[in-house]
Parts: sequence; structure tokens; C-alpha cells
Amino acid sequence: MKPVVAVSNLTKRFRLPLDKSTTLKYRVTHWRSASRYRDLYALRDISFDIPEGQFLGITGPNGCGKSTLLKIMCRIYEPTRGTATVDGDFSAFLELGVGFNPELTARENIFLGGAMLGLTRAQLRDKVDEVLAFAELTDFAEQKLKNFSSGMQVRLAFTVAILAKTDLLIMDEVLAVGDASFQEKCFDTFNNYKREGKTIVLVSHDLAALEEYCDRVLLLDRGQIVSDGPASEVTSTYHRMVADRARAAERGLPAGGRRDSADAAPAVEIISAGLLDRHEQNTLRFDTGDPMTLDIRLLVHRDVGDFVCGMAIRRADGLLVAGTNTFLDHVTVSSRPVGRAVSIRYTIDSLPLLAGGYIVQLSTHDMSGSSIYDAANPAASFHVNNLGGHVGLLEMEGRWQVGREEDVSPPSVARQTAG
Amino acid sequence: MSVAAPGSGRLDAIPRPRSVFHRNVNLIRELSITQFKLKYTGSALGYVWSLVKPTMLFGIMYLVFSVLLKAGRNDPHFPVELLLGIVVWTFFVEATTTAMNAIAGAGELIRKAYFPRWILVVASTTSALLTFAINTVLVVIVTLILGQLHLSLRSLVAPLLYIELAALVLGLSLLLSALFVFFRDLGHIWEILSLVLFYASAIVFPFLTIKGKSPKLADIAGLNPIAQIVQDLRHALVADVPVIPWMGGIIGPLAIIPIAITIVVLVIGFLVFHKLTPRFAESL
Repeated sequence: MKPVVAVSNLTKRFRLPLDKSTTLKYRVTHWRSASRYRDLYALRDISFDIPEGQFLGITGPNGCGKSTLLKIMCRIYEPTRGTATVDGDFSAFLELGVGFNPELTARENIFLGGAMLGLTRAQLRDKVDEVLAFAELTDFAEQKLKNFSSGMQVRLAFTVAILAKTDLLIMDEVLAVGDASFQEKCFDTFNNYKREGKTIVLVSHDLAALEEYCDRVLLLDRGQIVSDGPASEVTSTYHRMVADRARAAERGLPAGGRRDSADAAPAVEIISAGLLDRHEQNTLRFDTGDPMTLDIRLLVHRDVGDFVCGMAIRRADGLLVAGTNTFLDHVTVSSRPVGRAVSIRYTIDSLPLLAGGYIVQLSTHDMSGSSIYDAANPAASFHVNNLGGHVGLLEMEGRWQVGREEDVSPPSVARQTAG
Repeated sequence: MSVAAPGSGRLDAIPRPRSVFHRNVNLIRELSITQFKLKYTGSALGYVWSLVKPTMLFGIMYLVFSVLLKAGRNDPHFPVELLLGIVVWTFFVEATTTAMNAIAGAGELIRKAYFPRWILVVASTTSALLTFAINTVLVVIVTLILGQLHLSLRSLVAPLLYIELAALVLGLSLLLSALFVFFRDLGHIWEILSLVLFYASAIVFPFLTIKGKSPKLADIAGLNPIAQIVQDLRHALVADVPVIPWMGGIIGPLAIIPIAITIVVLVIGFLVFHKLTPRFAESL
């Protein structure tokens, strides 16, 4: 069977100009000197096929080339060498609400966004109400987009993005946005696509989601495919890779060649962050009420006296759920001796979060918070499954009490005692 | 307990129209209508603003050239010719200036979505054409009422001239928008060039004035497509024939050259745009 996507020997080189040559004047006055470039290989000789009906996940650390790969598949970038052919119609969703205009109403944006996907006004006219209903925005049809909350914009953008019927759906990091109920809806849609035999390519950092939905995951690192197989296999390779790098960094080696020797290292570098379950195992999935430990490794490059390590948990759509730091909790962390790794743990005995995707942000800074040494955003991400059926953000751990008033008490007295 | 999410849980996707042409035309329409709408919403006077500028320009030019300098004193129709010229010029300069930013100003779109890039330029031109069409209709109505317009068989050429103008603007827009991505000082250069072009195109004085001073200079000035379009429009719509001849009546067979230039500009614009398109996404 012919694959839907065929990528063969794909190489992408970006030439980053070292001189500023965006004016005609510069070109005229410097016509003799050839432009100087620094070459950056985003992808190196990548080959893979995607058969029809496959749900393919692509993941990897930042800068691994996954977004470049997606953009070449979508014909936004041209390959430097090799080919990436897509057989048939595809619809791409690289960022939320591309082509939307904040000055237009939701209804107008549906027509505009739909047109970007190749749908005509006549086709969309009968569909607008359905789209608004799916996006849960029926009452806001005539509101300007700029007045929408980010969650509302996400819902509208996603709904429009899945509106065109195509054989292949290419999506970048859509899971990082939207609340839990909306993410569920996204996945319902993906499942419908799968049932209809459509092919999906999804780039994500959300390893838990990749494990749950993808038939196959590609792990990219520094422009190459380092792992290709069933999701569970690839995600454990990924964890190993991250751990190896952290160890390498502790021995004073540059973390996987990530840092140029010329770049000044941060005074206190965040090397790794992992989430541990009750058995001290790395995991990305927790149930509400589980213990969770955030395991942080820092590497001190310079003596800065005492410093502060801060953490924050955000919901996938950016809402700050909670945050604290060592200073606020009266914990002292010293940068001495320099050159040694520092291990910091933050343990939550009973995770109060309800279902959804969350990210962890980390930072190191001085005691006053005025100078930030290093920041990792996101440092880690996790999913919470909610077994109890409670809705919202937090497990309130409240108690219901039901009692019967004594038969003799009149209702008015009962109300008083209750108040 | 479970709380049902409001809204329907299912959405059936729509198949795209088969014809790529159909999709592109639809996208151009949506983009240009949006652009047109956005340009004129948010200000109290809205569309009226698009009339203020050419009207002011007309008022000033009329005062300076017609009243003070007595340009076109042998020609009783000169005010309406001036008006026609200014409407054409305003369209030309606004359309090209706006279109120059059509690619560079749409970086987000170009880096994040795939669609034929030329659509952005065509949409920008279409949106400018929309304003121009409304302005032209207004001018025609007003001048017809004032009895200044002389519609005849000659006037049938006018639509062809508008097509030539649109082709010229589109060609330049393609060229400018593609080059602007790489040369950001093109904006200044184009501003200066258009100032020169404004006076070289005999917008604010009759073209014959040039011929009166120097026939040779007229031969050169007549090669400019804007000069030719404006002159021929005046002939087609206003003419008392000996006073406002065709460009061909002034510079002879050379008058074919501005038309050839328009075609060449369109072709070059298309080729340059096509050649640079793959580099847009990486350069923005």
C-alpha cells in the first residue's frame, strides 16, 4: 500500500546570516563582500513512511527539529535535500487560530479560517451554527475575537481546524492548550478520524497523551530519528535519554553537546526535572490524591552564595495553579561547593489536582529574585486522571453531612441552627 | 456524578471543493473583504476617509495648478480631468504601498499555514480595487450630473484601461512585496520613486503641456504606463478630441510601449515572486 506520507533522506539546513543585510543600501555598499552565514542543520537525512490510517506521534527535546519536519511536510519550508511527499489532501494545524483576525467576530472568523482551509462561504454558511455549538460559543457568535478568553479562542480555532475533511491531519502541540474537557473533545475527534481510516500526525511533548493515542512515535534529537516504534518503547527511550544527559552534565560534560563552550553557563543551571510516583519511578501520569515528588537536579557553575529554587504548576492552558520556592518555605540552598550537582525534591503527599494536563516550571534565582540564573519552561509535564468524577481544578476534600432535624423543631428554627 | 459539557459533541467535517481555483478565488474574496472591512471599521467616518484624501489632494492641486498656475487654461474640462487623474493616482500609490507589506506583514500566517502566497498580494490589490471602484463610480456620477463627462463609443475603451491599470498595479505589487521581504528600505525608495512618477505622469497638468515645451520629452514621458492610462482615460471619458487626444495621437506608434511595459512588469513581477516564494517562510 502506498504510504500517505513518504519522507526520504530529508535534510534541512538553515543559513543564519551573520551580517545584517536586510536593506538594499547594505547590499549596494557591501556588494563586494559575500554574505557570511552560519549553517544550522535542523534535520539530517531523515527517512520514514506513514501508512494510511496511522496515528503517528513525533516528540523530542526542544530544538530537535520536529517543528521543522512538520513545516516541510506542510510545504511551508522547502527541503534542502531529499523529499517529503504527502499523497492527497491534508489539513495542517501548526498554531492556534492562524489566519484569525482579532477584530472580527467569531462568525466572521469562521468564514475566514474556513477559507484558509479551502472551504467556501457557501459551504460554511450552513455549518456556522454547528461550529459555534461544538466550540461552545453559540452565545458569542457576534463577539469580537479579541474579547474572547484564551480558552474560547482555542476552542474556536480547534473547531475550525478540524472542519475540512481531509485524509491527513497534521497538528503541532494542540494538546498543550485548552482545559481537560476540551482536550477530551480533541481526542474524541482524533478517535473519530482514526475510525474513518484517516492518518494523523501529532507533534507533542505530552508523552502520556502520545502513549495513549499513538500507534507509533518518532523520537527526534538533533535533527535525527533516534527512536521509532510503539509509543511505550519510545517514551522510555526518551526518559533514558534525558537521564543520561543529566548524568553527563553532572560529570561536567556539556549536556549532550547542547551548550557551546563560548556560551556562559548560568550560575545555577537546571539540568533535569522528573516526576516520581510513590515507588520512586518516573511517571507522567498521576491520579488525584496520589503522592507526587518533583525531583530536580541543579548544577552550580559559579559561587553565588545562597540561592532560591522556585517551582510553579500551570494548567496546560497557562493558568497558574500553584507556585512556591525554597525561600518562601524557609529552605536554604547553597551554591557551595561550586561544580557539584544539587538534588532538590519537592513532595506533595496527596495531589489535589483534578483531571487535566499540567506543566511544571522551574527557576533558579538569587535571594531577592532580581536576577534569574536559569529557567525551564516547561521543566516537566504530567497528566492527572480523575477517578472520582469531581469536576474543576482542585480536589476540595470537603465533607457532606446530612442529618435530620428533630420532628418537633419548626422549619424556621432549623434554618437558624444550620446558619 | 458527571457534568455534561455544553454543546454538541460531534462535528462532521466538510469535504473541500475539488477545484483549487474555486478555493483560491474564495480565499481571495474572504481576505480582501476582511481587509476592506477592517480598513474602514473602527473610525467613525469609515469609508468617508477614503474619499477625504483624494478630495483634499484634488482641492489643493486644483488651486495650485489650475487656478494659480493656469495649467490647462485652454481646456474647460481640466478640473474633471484632474479629478480622474487623482483618483487613478491615489489608487495606484495606495495599492502598491499597501501590497508591499502583504508578505512581510503576514509573517505569522506564512510561517504557520500553507496556501499559495500570491493570494495575499492579489487580495491586497483586490481590496484596493474595491475602494477604487467605489471612488470611480462616485466620480462618474458626480461628473455626469455636472455635465462634465462625455460618454460615447470612445468610452468603451475605459474598461480596458482599468484592466491595464489593475495589471500594472498587480505586477508591481508582486515585485515589491517579494523584494520587500529582503530589502526593508524598499519602502523609502518606493516613496521617492512614486513622487517622481506623480509629476512625470501628468496627473496635475495636461499631458499636452509637456509636448508644448518639448516634443522629445513628451515622447519619453508618454512611455510611462500611468501617463498613458490617465491620458487615454481622459480621452475616453472627457474628451473634446483635439484638446485631449489619445496617447497615440501625441507620441505616435510609440504608444504601444507603455502597454508592453505593463505586460513586462506583470511577467517580471510574477517571475520574481515565484522565484522568491520558497524563501519567504524562512526569512520572515
